[in-house]
Amino acid sequence: MPDKQNWWEWEINGGTSWLGVNLKELFNYKDLLFRLVRKDFLSSYQQTLLGPFWVVFQPILTVITYVFVFHEVIGISTDGVPALLYYLTGITLWNLFADIFSNTSYAYTQSITIFEKVYFPRLIAPLSILALSFLKFGIQFLLLIIIAGYFYLFRHIEFNFIRLLISLPVIIIISGTGFGAGLIFSIITIKYKDLFNLLQLFIRLFMFICPIFYSVGMVPPKVRLLVNFNPLSIPFEMFRFAFFGKGSFNSLQIFYCTGFMIILLLAGIVVFNKWSDKLIDLA
Amino acid sequence: MSEIIIQVENISKLYGLGAIGTGSLRREMMHWWRNTVLKKEDPYFQSTENEKNYLWALKNINFEIREGEAWGIIGQNGAGKSTLLKILSRIVKPTEGIVRGRGRVSSLLEVGTGFHNELTGRENIFISGNILGMNKREISEKFDEIVDFSGIELFLDTPVKRYSSGMYVRLAFAVAAHMQPDILIVDEVLAVGDAEFQKKCLGKMNDASSKLGRTVIFVSHNMQAINNLCTKSIWLKKGMINEIGDTRSVVGKYMGGEQKKIWKQEFHTLEEAPGTDYIKVLSVELIPHLTDQMNPIDIRTPLTVRFKFYNAGKNVNLSVDLLLFTLAGDCVFDIPSKSSTCNEGMIEAECMIPGNFLNDGAYYFSLYFVEGHSKELFYFEECLQFEVADFRENVYWYDKWWGQVRPNFPLKLKKTIPKTGS
Repeated sequence: MPDKQNWWEWEINGGTSWLGVNLKELFNYKDLLFRLVRKDFLSSYQQTLLGPFWVVFQPILTVITYVFVFHEVIGISTDGVPALLYYLTGITLWNLFADIFSNTSYAYTQSITIFEKVYFPRLIAPLSILALSFLKFGIQFLLLIIIAGYFYLFRHIEFNFIRLLISLPVIIIISGTGFGAGLIFSIITIKYKDLFNLLQLFIRLFMFICPIFYSVGMVPPKVRLLVNFNPLSIPFEMFRFAFFGKGSFNSLQIFYCTGFMIILLLAGIVVFNKWSDKLIDLA
Repeated sequence: MSEIIIQVENISKLYGLGAIGTGSLRREMMHWWRNTVLKKEDPYFQSTENEKNYLWALKNINFEIREGEAWGIIGQNGAGKSTLLKILSRIVKPTEGIVRGRGRVSSLLEVGTGFHNELTGRENIFISGNILGMNKREISEKFDEIVDFSGIELFLDTPVKRYSSGMYVRLAFAVAAHMQPDILIVDEVLAVGDAEFQKKCLGKMNDASSKLGRTVIFVSHNMQAINNLCTKSIWLKKGMINEIGDTRSVVGKYMGGEQKKIWKQEFHTLEEAPGTDYIKVLSVELIPHLTDQMNPIDIRTPLTVRFKFYNAGKNVNLSVDLLLFTLAGDCVFDIPSKSSTCNEGMIEAECMIPGNFLNDGAYYFSLYFVEGHSKELFYFEECLQFEVADFRENVYWYDKWWGQVRPNFPLKLKKTIPKTGS
């Protein structure tokens, strides 16, 4: 037999490593990743009336409701920005977070029947969900850009194109936080199935402490701390700043929400990797 | 000799029985409240600390597989076969031990893993292929072959939920059959599908190992298939290797050890012996003429049935029928003895059934004692039970052979010269 050290290409043992992410292996399964995205995208619009148009309809319907409820009925100020555009920026970003967080939470439970029958790096399943969320977000973001373009051309709302680039790091922070939290949830919910109920409730309530249809500046000082403590507040402010130049945040806050995202994301990946092997015995 | 491609070293797998924890956060919190705060026993909570709640599904498994070999894994249900396959396919981790290997592994533990009912056959070929570890290019290259093998060209763009179950399975297996791994791991997926489909699958697996030189690991309850496909076998029993080595000898021992059989019944006194006032059967015995006593009875083995009974009647016109039934209860034959006038005393009888006569399967003998034409003296039912194992050579047909008998009558084909002109 040739050199014993190099002869074996793989090894299976009982250990589960904390940092077992093998990037090369993940890359080898990229075809599977794209296939799963395609499968989920196609299958979620089979036998539906409007098909993929739902991706666009959902934010439009939501924004119309918001304009009616928060602007017309309650009368929350939108800092001089047209209400439609103001709410749409918030909703688009919120959809990205909610989509990634809630769908990633189901990643393990949804794929368990496949996990039990065939091996591939388990992280592929949540990554495909992440990719699908990006795809949907891309379409919704395009909608936002088109509507912003309309306001730019016909309503003379000024945009600073350099400033718009701030939206890019915002998207990364929001996705990273959602993905990390989702990964952790996907593991906890295997053991505690009742947490799925809590999850939906949490997402619905959490939306209200994110500055989506109000800005941080409007929050009374009494509860300002709560909004500042929320690591998603600042990204929302920054996102709106990117579009309209209005928003209040400082570098310490940016540091806080970025650091929070990095820690949560790493924790999520590590927990998911460590437990996905063990949980196959329990699920 | 080819190189070792998989090395299994001291693999053990421990499973916790019962629920781990309680399965819901509410219950777990109640448990915590009762146990830690109130210090009461919680009737709903199963302790996992207890040694009794653990089961070694596999214990100290060691073996080595060389390139191009086909291995069968046999054993009763719950012997650990599937656990071993899951460890080799990297689905579950072993509790102890290590598996080392080389090359690409594909496992086929289920037909149609990852299929999505709402999507078309075409989409599903790609989904399933990717999940099984093929990349897009490989699937595209094999696409026509896969479609051809499955025979569903017409329905390629129909959602698979509208497929018949046969079509579904055919498509799913077609994808799996076109994987090109170095090591192919197959669970008993062949239990599904009709006879023709099973034949196709086994043929494909046979090609993979004998023609393409792939390493195959195969779990099955179908001993014919194991015998024909695999050169080496492992017999697992309660999570341990009971026997390992050459397939013929391992399967032989397995069949010999696990069969339900009564080959001999003997009684020393007339009081003990079963029977009636007229007839008492003192012994009945099945003697297989085996070349190697370790082997099971197979279809080639000649069998002798020998029995001894006591006739109590005087001057009776006695005859005995030897009846053979399949375990399902169909009569295979009824051989009557010539009737003769007998007086009180012992009578011995013997009948030989030649080899290459019975089909494989489980059978039992019954003895029927008659006076004159129709008066039943004693009917000794199911006095001998035995199984006949299959044996095939150079036959690529792995299903259950039809018929209750399998005589070796020659069937000759004659070639005639075709007529030319008129």
